[in-house]
Amino acid sequence: MADSRKLLRAGGRGVAVLTAAALTVVAFGAAAVVPWPEHRAEPVARSIEPAESRTLRVCPGPMLELGADAESVSALGSAGLTIATQPEDAGAERVPLAPPRGTEEDVAVALVTQPGSVGAGMLAGAQSQQLTTETAAGFLAASCAEPVAEAWLAGGSTELGRSTLLLLANPGEVTATVDVRVHSETGAVDAPAGLGLVVQPGAQRVVSIAGLAPGAASPVVHVTSTGGTVAATLEQTAIDVLTPTGADLIGTTAPPAKRQTITGVVVPQSGGIAVDEDHAEGDAHPSLRLLAPGDDPVEAAVSVVPESGGEGAVFDVVLQPGQVSDIPLGELAAGEYTVRLDADGEFVAAARTATVKSGEELPSDFAWFPASLPLLAETLISVPRGPGAKLHFANLGDADVEATVTTDGGEQLVSVPAGGAASVPMTGNGGRAFVTADAGLFASVSFAGDRQLAGFAVQPPGPLDSPIVVYPR
Amino acid sequence: MSPRVTAILVVHHGGERLTRALDAIRAQSRRPERLIVALVQADAETRNAAAEAAPDGIIQIEERIAFGEAVRRAEQTLPPPQDDEDAVWLLSEDTEAEPRALAALETTLETARSVAIAGPKLLDAESPDRIASLGRSMTRLGAAVPLVTAELDQGQHDGLSDVLGVDPGGLLVRRSVWRALEGFDPALPVVDDGLDLAVRARLAGHRVAVVPTAHVRFAAGGLIGPAAGHRAGAVRRRAAATRRAALHRRMSYAPAAATPLHWLSLLPLALLRSIVLLVTKAPGRIVGEFGAALRTMFSFGAVARSRRVLRGARSVGWSAIAPLRIQPDEMRRRRRLEAEERRARARGRVDGVDFLATGGGWVLLVAVVVAIAVLFPLLGAAGVSGPGLLPLSPAVDELWRNASYGWRDVGTGFVGAADPFQAVLAVLGSLAFWAPSWAIVALWLLAIPVSALGAWFAAARLTDRGALRALAAVLWMLSPPLLSSLADGRPGAVLAHVLLAWLLYAALGSATSWATAATASLLFTAVVASAPSLAPALIVAWIVGTVVSGRGAARLALLPIPAVVLAAPVIWAQFAAGNPLALLADPGAPVPAAVPGSGVLALGFTDPSLGGWQQVLASLPASIDPRWVVAALLLPLALSALAAFAVGRLRAATFALAGAALGFATAVAAAQLSLAIVGSTAVPVASAPGQSMMWLGLVLAAVIALDGLRRASAWLAALLTVATAAAVLPLAVSIATGRAEVAAAGSRSLPAFVTAEAENNPRVTTLRLVPESDGGLRATLEHGAGATLDEQSTIAQTRVSMDAGELALAEIAGNLASRGGFDADRAIEEFGISYVLLGQVDEDAPRAAALTADRSRAALDANAALVPVGETDFGTLWRFADAAPDAPAAQIPAQAGAPLTGWIATVQLIVFGAVLLLSIPAGVGREEPGRRPKRSRPARVRRRDRTPPEAETAAAAAATGDPEADSSEGAAADADARSANDTDVPGAADAADGEEPDAASDAALDPPPVTAADHTNPDEREGASDGR
Repeated sequence: MADSRKLLRAGGRGVAVLTAAALTVVAFGAAAVVPWPEHRAEPVARSIEPAESRTLRVCPGPMLELGADAESVSALGSAGLTIATQPEDAGAERVPLAPPRGTEEDVAVALVTQPGSVGAGMLAGAQSQQLTTETAAGFLAASCAEPVAEAWLAGGSTELGRSTLLLLANPGEVTATVDVRVHSETGAVDAPAGLGLVVQPGAQRVVSIAGLAPGAASPVVHVTSTGGTVAATLEQTAIDVLTPTGADLIGTTAPPAKRQTITGVVVPQSGGIAVDEDHAEGDAHPSLRLLAPGDDPVEAAVSVVPESGGEGAVFDVVLQPGQVSDIPLGELAAGEYTVRLDADGEFVAAARTATVKSGEELPSDFAWFPASLPLLAETLISVPRGPGAKLHFANLGDADVEATVTTDGGEQLVSVPAGGAASVPMTGNGGRAFVTADAGLFASVSFAGDRQLAGFAVQPPGPLDSPIVVYPR
Repeated sequence: MSPRVTAILVVHHGGERLTRALDAIRAQSRRPERLIVALVQADAETRNAAAEAAPDGIIQIEERIAFGEAVRRAEQTLPPPQDDEDAVWLLSEDTEAEPRALAALETTLETARSVAIAGPKLLDAESPDRIASLGRSMTRLGAAVPLVTAELDQGQHDGLSDVLGVDPGGLLVRRSVWRALEGFDPALPVVDDGLDLAVRARLAGHRVAVVPTAHVRFAAGGLIGPAAGHRAGAVRRRAAATRRAALHRRMSYAPAAATPLHWLSLLPLALLRSIVLLVTKAPGRIVGEFGAALRTMFSFGAVARSRRVLRGARSVGWSAIAPLRIQPDEMRRRRRLEAEERRARARGRVDGVDFLATGGGWVLLVAVVVAIAVLFPLLGAAGVSGPGLLPLSPAVDELWRNASYGWRDVGTGFVGAADPFQAVLAVLGSLAFWAPSWAIVALWLLAIPVSALGAWFAAARLTDRGALRALAAVLWMLSPPLLSSLADGRPGAVLAHVLLAWLLYAALGSATSWATAATASLLFTAVVASAPSLAPALIVAWIVGTVVSGRGAARLALLPIPAVVLAAPVIWAQFAAGNPLALLADPGAPVPAAVPGSGVLALGFTDPSLGGWQQVLASLPASIDPRWVVAALLLPLALSALAAFAVGRLRAATFALAGAALGFATAVAAAQLSLAIVGSTAVPVASAPGQSMMWLGLVLAAVIALDGLRRASAWLAALLTVATAAAVLPLAVSIATGRAEVAAAGSRSLPAFVTAEAENNPRVTTLRLVPESDGGLRATLEHGAGATLDEQSTIAQTRVSMDAGELALAEIAGNLASRGGFDADRAIEEFGISYVLLGQVDEDAPRAAALTADRSRAALDANAALVPVGETDFGTLWRFADAAPDAPAAQIPAQAGAPLTGWIATVQLIVFGAVLLLSIPAGVGREEPGRRPKRSRPARVRRRDRTPPEAETAAAAAATGDPEADSSEGAAADADARSANDTDVPGAADAADGEEPDAASDAALDPPPVTAADHTNPDEREGASDGR
């Protein structure tokens, strides 16, 4: 009797243990398998549209010439300015900036609109100038730029007969402290003189790149500013013994990225030097200037696509870190091209072409074409007076893009094919173009005439005006 | 000429007692001339019984009135007294006079003309050898004191004659005096009526005497005096009536000039006495205390009547009765005797813990060594830094302000409820008042030893074996949730873990002791405040515990009250905001973390790397899933826990493992909830507290299992210890080598430039901008030397939409990080911002964050209203050029939250003050001298068939050793027990339940039958002892 009771009790305990074990397994299983409902709070955020401000653009002004000492300059003639706003009657004020040392004339001009009168990017200005002095000749054009805290400028040269100046304009209310760092074909140039340059508010300052990097065949200039922001522009003149061989204003190129696009590269005459040519000397041939500012070598695939359609040339280059490479674009037929670069690392890029009057040996003008950033849905472009003005569009996307271009002459529809390009001729008297298209197009403006060649990229407005998402918690 | 005596018999219940009372009257050697029966709400049967006795008069009263009132009405039916010889003898159905009683009383009146009132010796009806009452007196302050209480009648008081007062039962009073004094005072219906009548007689120049030879048996049936009984309700009513009578007499006897003062002192005295009642663990009497005070305050009519009657009859001064009062030295002697008695009773009691004897000291030593080894980097630190850690406010008053309803100084600030956790922080910070932030260091350093002690004591409720208690302590202090919380810097989870075992220890004892119940409720508050996610599980456990705890339920019911009171403002606010789920959010600084998977949760860890196992195994050539390794190491614990069902303590095992299951469910549920919002992320609720509860259940179940083993349990305990220690070794090493998130830190969270200014300008405001990984910008405001842990508010963290302040802050921050026509000085106007701090972006941060940082830096740089200060350890700093010291917008609004702050704080302080007083362990407390031992519960008796013989003899010895074992109640309990279980050994039934180890430990997990007889039930202490 007692034994059977003991047995019963033992059995009961065994059942209890097994039940508990089973429940444990079920509990863990349920926790792992059942998709229990979740409650995740939504972060509270607000996209803040920055308060309307005065829109500001800085036009670099006429070509300057280095004076007796390295710090004083004088202006060569004057530049013609074209201003556009959207809406057209918004009215932009021209505020001359204090000129650099050595000249009394107003050089750089800031364009200012009243707060709220135009939207972001709806103020555009551009300037052009025909130089015909004994020391400098050529056609130069530039767009009025937005002041930024960081700018990359690819172009220029400080070899014999080449002169390159960096123009820094600070249109703001705060003193800007600017660091200028130059990379050349030999790597980063150690130039302490370029650091800590003070640009007073409402003033322009000129820095000779030759002073920082003498004898550099292919400089790339990196400008960073703390305090106020600056508009940075390079200007280059070239002279061969006594013959001026061209001049250009070089705007900022797109910041380092793995993909760069250069739109509307004008090759006036067929010719050029093969890509793998080791002795590509002189600046008469179309070429690319590339710099990988990082710490690792970068391999880039370059494709040069004719705007008229077709495949175009494709080649690979390897960029050594910190060293600027000038790469010939190969032999090209006369025409307009889009240069697309894809790489496994970040780099900056610009292209250069030159025009040679037939029968002459020396080029009569050259132009730098910086890389640009994709446009927003609405873009206002100001086109200065100049010969053969053309508006170029490139579409890197997979779908055709219809762009509506409104000029003084009326509205026209431009179809930019997927992966292709298109261009719109403009009147030579200067004017405006208001472009509406799906975002993502790249654009530039070019000029080509007799002994005249110039171009500038159309950059979208900087992010400082764009909405920002704020989490106030 | 002998006096004409009229006996007045007041009858309510009738029955056998009435018969006996009538028989007693009939059996008097000197029978009263007249008998008048006053029937108070008597039924027909009683009426008949009364009529059979053929009294001279019957009056029927249809309402429930007091004895004194019934006597008055009966006396009024008599013709006016002819002379001093007329007397009335006051009897009720509860009095049974012995045959010679009236003769003895009458003789006294006859021989001493000055004696107006003669009272008999009242003997206990149930045990006639004990004196129930023999005269009453007052102290010099007017408190009523019995001259003799519950003494064995050996004739030791038979010399007594003149007394100040007597009890009304069996009283013989001259009718002339009765009429002159207008009888008993109607305002003293239950208590002190006889004393008051006697005092007034004395003041009217008469004498009052007890006649020890007149024996009247008296049963306290509730007709004369308060009803006897040990039930909580009866005790409370008796205490309230006693207090009411004392206050009424005070108002009546006081000199006219002093009455206003007495009147004003009524409530303050009630308050003071309530505090004493709390300390002496009689909280049930507080209501009666205040009821008495309030009723006396507003019974002007009754007081006026009493004073008028007193004045009318008074012929001698109060000094005339002074010699009859109890003298102070006599009172002192009595108190000393009482205390001695209590001590004698307490002598046999043990708490069954034996801390040092069972190796508790060694466990503590080991825990301290482990804590020092694991937390080596924190030794000597002034503060701790970690994801969930911030400094505490440097001033104690600020800590407490942040713990009360009012201005929440977090972000843009708002008026609202404080988290209960802030009160916990305030307590911790106040303990380290010289440097409150150091309290967090102390918490970290003490977490392991204090946890170990808590588990040791909780296990002591389960087992007597020191090795198993030590096992529980070690497993609990090395548990993955504790070490994970320590490593991650989560103060709430650490506190919850440290206190959870202590809460269990206190809760298991709270059914039998008010002090323990109050302590448990404070621990419950702290645990729930530290880890609100544990609240549902703990409430379920509380409900189950209360339901099964039977008589202890009243004390267990107290458990959540302080927590509810403390959290009420937050509960109200979150329900009003329609976000009740947010009540479960972790208080303090939110810790953004990945949501742990349920596999990781089941293993007790919170991170997928299982406390560093992933890294350890990654360094090995073979690829092993760390989860299998940890699972293998924890398998012995899981199997031991399940084996708890095999040792026969089903109830305890179920309780422990159900707790573990609840804990696991809590952890899994917590992982499903992300409530607090930090920047662009929602922070998941910490799962560690739920895992702590799971771990506690497993540890206790393992202890139960091993306790059931006779052999090999030491080896198994060693195995469990080694395996668990191995499982947490990588985590412990990572803390000890400083690779964990938590680290020693200075107490600074803002650049020195700002903190230096904060010393002069404590409200200096810094806008902190942190680029988020999605390209957004997090903007927060910090005041003074930076955000503190005690400022944090879950209401602010869990709000589902922005409030006006946050909107304005977003606009200002967004514009400062953009170029635009924004008037930057609005930041000064609206928030009094002096500094802008742009946080650094890591090298490996997403590109979007870097771009936002660049953009913000450029915009801030270009802003003419800002002056760059420079790079700091915490980011780039700018100063507003126009920043004003003591900017008005940065100040805390005056009177923020008033008057609600005051009201809420008052209520919370009263409740916590009461609970704190109640939790003070006041020794053995005051108790009624003649308490009865509790009856053994039959169910428990039946279990005794397993009692080993030696335990039985011990129990029997304990029973005979009990000073009260010879009382009749004790015998009755014996009889009960025997009838419940015939096979039981007599005497063992009287043994306290807790004497037998197994039964005691079983009972421990199940509050109701816990060691009940071993403890004093404070409700049973009668309130006769006066606080004054």
